[in-house]
Amino acid sequence: MNVGTRKILNRSFTAVGIGSIVVMGIALLIVIVPIIYNGVGAVFFTGTIEHRNMLYNEFGEGDEAELAKQNAAAGVYRKEVYAMLAGFEAELEAMESERQQEFRSKYGSVRNALTALMGPLPGDTGAMLTRFKYGQTRWEKAEEKLHEFLYEAKWDYSDPDAMAKEYYVSRAAEFEGTSLVKIFPYVEKHLEEIMRPEFTIYLGFLTDSSVDSHIFGGIWPEIQGTFFLAIGAMLFAFPLGVIAAVYFTEYAREGLFTSMLRSANSTLAGVPSIVFGLFGLAFFINTLGVSESKSVLAGSLTLAIMILPTIIRAAEEAILSVPRTYKEASLSLGSTKWNTIMTVILPAALPGIITGGVISLGRAAGETAPIIFTAAVSVGSAIGLADVFSSPTPALSWNIYNLASEHEAAAEIRHVQYGMVLALVGIVLLLNLSAILLRARISKKLKG
Amino acid sequence: MNFFKKILFGAAVLGFMAGGTAEAKSKIVMDGSTTVGPIAKSFAAYFTKTKGVQVTVSESGSGNGAKSIINGTCDIANMSRAMKSKEAAAAKAKGVNPVEHIVALDGMAIVVHPSNRVNKLTKTQVRDIYTGKVTNWSQVGGPNASIVKIQRESNSGTQDTFMSLVMGKGNPVSKRAETQASNGAVKNRVASTPAAIGFIGLGFTDNSVKALSIDGVKPSVETVKDGTYPISRPLFMYTNGQPTGVVKEFIDLKDTSEGQRMISELGYVNK
Repeated sequence: MNVGTRKILNRSFTAVGIGSIVVMGIALLIVIVPIIYNGVGAVFFTGTIEHRNMLYNEFGEGDEAELAKQNAAAGVYRKEVYAMLAGFEAELEAMESERQQEFRSKYGSVRNALTALMGPLPGDTGAMLTRFKYGQTRWEKAEEKLHEFLYEAKWDYSDPDAMAKEYYVSRAAEFEGTSLVKIFPYVEKHLEEIMRPEFTIYLGFLTDSSVDSHIFGGIWPEIQGTFFLAIGAMLFAFPLGVIAAVYFTEYAREGLFTSMLRSANSTLAGVPSIVFGLFGLAFFINTLGVSESKSVLAGSLTLAIMILPTIIRAAEEAILSVPRTYKEASLSLGSTKWNTIMTVILPAALPGIITGGVISLGRAAGETAPIIFTAAVSVGSAIGLADVFSSPTPALSWNIYNLASEHEAAAEIRHVQYGMVLALVGIVLLLNLSAILLRARISKKLKG
Repeated sequence: MNFFKKILFGAAVLGFMAGGTAEAKSKIVMDGSTTVGPIAKSFAAYFTKTKGVQVTVSESGSGNGAKSIINGTCDIANMSRAMKSKEAAAAKAKGVNPVEHIVALDGMAIVVHPSNRVNKLTKTQVRDIYTGKVTNWSQVGGPNASIVKIQRESNSGTQDTFMSLVMGKGNPVSKRAETQASNGAVKNRVASTPAAIGFIGLGFTDNSVKALSIDGVKPSVETVKDGTYPISRPLFMYTNGQPTGVVKEFIDLKDTSEGQRMISELGYVNK
């Protein structure tokens, strides 16, 4: 090969390499940016007075006097709206029955749209469910609901062969000639005074329990559950994994039995996680009965079994990478095998073992399938440490799935879902970071 | 090695904390239907708030609810269908005596995308769509688009009800139907697919999908209650034996005015 071709090949290979890194970076950005942007929106957002009222009533947070002042200020404009409704209701009563019939259902949907925006109206029976006690707590949602209040979505079915197209009709036009027509421009013009948007930092999103199945409130029970499950799994899997790795590297005699054990371990690492989930249900809960129902304990055990192979492999590699000379030096000084393992080999291998542990910890925190049947529930309060042996818990990974697909109001609470995703990513990063720091400290100690 | 001692010490402290604070706490564990889920979750929140009893709710499908109560791993099983004779036999074999409580009534809404001009179908038409006999919306008065059929998984009580109330015996759902795992997922799929048809609990309908009139009757609280809407069903909670204590209080919520208001606010029908 002449020098020219070699150069071209070299350059093109470099270009492909850089190109793939760029593509990977872009892909990462595409995934991460919306998560961070939307997730941060769960804590930092423009909140309305409804949000502050909800916080005060449900969590007792906020300044009572200040809130009363704000409510009074908003009340001035709200009263106008209520008066317009009352005026139209009186007008409706006085109409002849045919016109009344026509307007009654239209008025019903106007009232519904307005309730969705600003909360219960006078004349409504008090709601039992918290979600109906308040209007929109977030300004961007309030603007959405304002649009729904001003315009009615309709579908154009004129072309019988094609799918219909959506178009919007101004509600004001539908009430032309009645007193209600004034309410639409009024609410549009005074929305800020009615809702009083303010930049809000809702740290409670991370520390409060959820209210009315995640529609309001925070995600503390999920965060706590995730921690319990991941750390519980580590408590079981880490010591067992390290002991198994010591056995494989130091005690086991090479032979058919050991190689079978090794390949069984490798196979176990490749088993899909849902299989572990079903196994956990069948073995830990139904057969062993470690708890009466799903529980953190059963979930942790299942996760532990799932991450065990990874830990064993990582620990094994770490132990094998300790130079033979260390071991020989220790033994030659008259140390016993056990003593050598505990004082020389394991400390030297510890950074590598911890790396394996960290990867597994992240996996345990993020897995959904193993905990569906063994530990996770869609709602539940934060459990105390005493309850981990008997109580199931909400956990981020499962609740993200639940909110994305099963929740009855999934489209209304996307911000909670994104907040959970960001919290999960954050927890995994945090766990990794602390383990990296721990590892660095141990390495430094070993060297120094 | 200092490090290991630290870990051991930490574990011991955790153990003591767990042991020290352990006390008999009453709690309720619920498992089962995603259709009954919203009722169970609202009841749970209310019950925890007023009685201070912890209630956890899992939504894993009616079939799993039945399995959980049979295996004794939940206190209350939520189900959107009655227990099958096979399940009852399995329960008996394990010494479990499932007692049924009807919580509410629910209409099963057949939903399509709002852009679909079809507003009504007969039960026979729905059946023909799902068996695969009718494959294009134009055959039932709609636009020229091939129908995307969406069904639920075999574990679902809603699927069982659909099979018995709409399909009938010997009419399997076409193999080309797509399967989704919850009411919410079916709703999302239909709301994002113009030519789709699916079935969900009445409480899950909103304006992202259009509920069809079946045999000329529009699904609503009134038509489900008076029985004119043809596809409606009771929703159940099952307990092992007659409930006692907090479980009884929880089940009895459905008969209180608070419970009934929650049920109707969620869009379900009080029995």
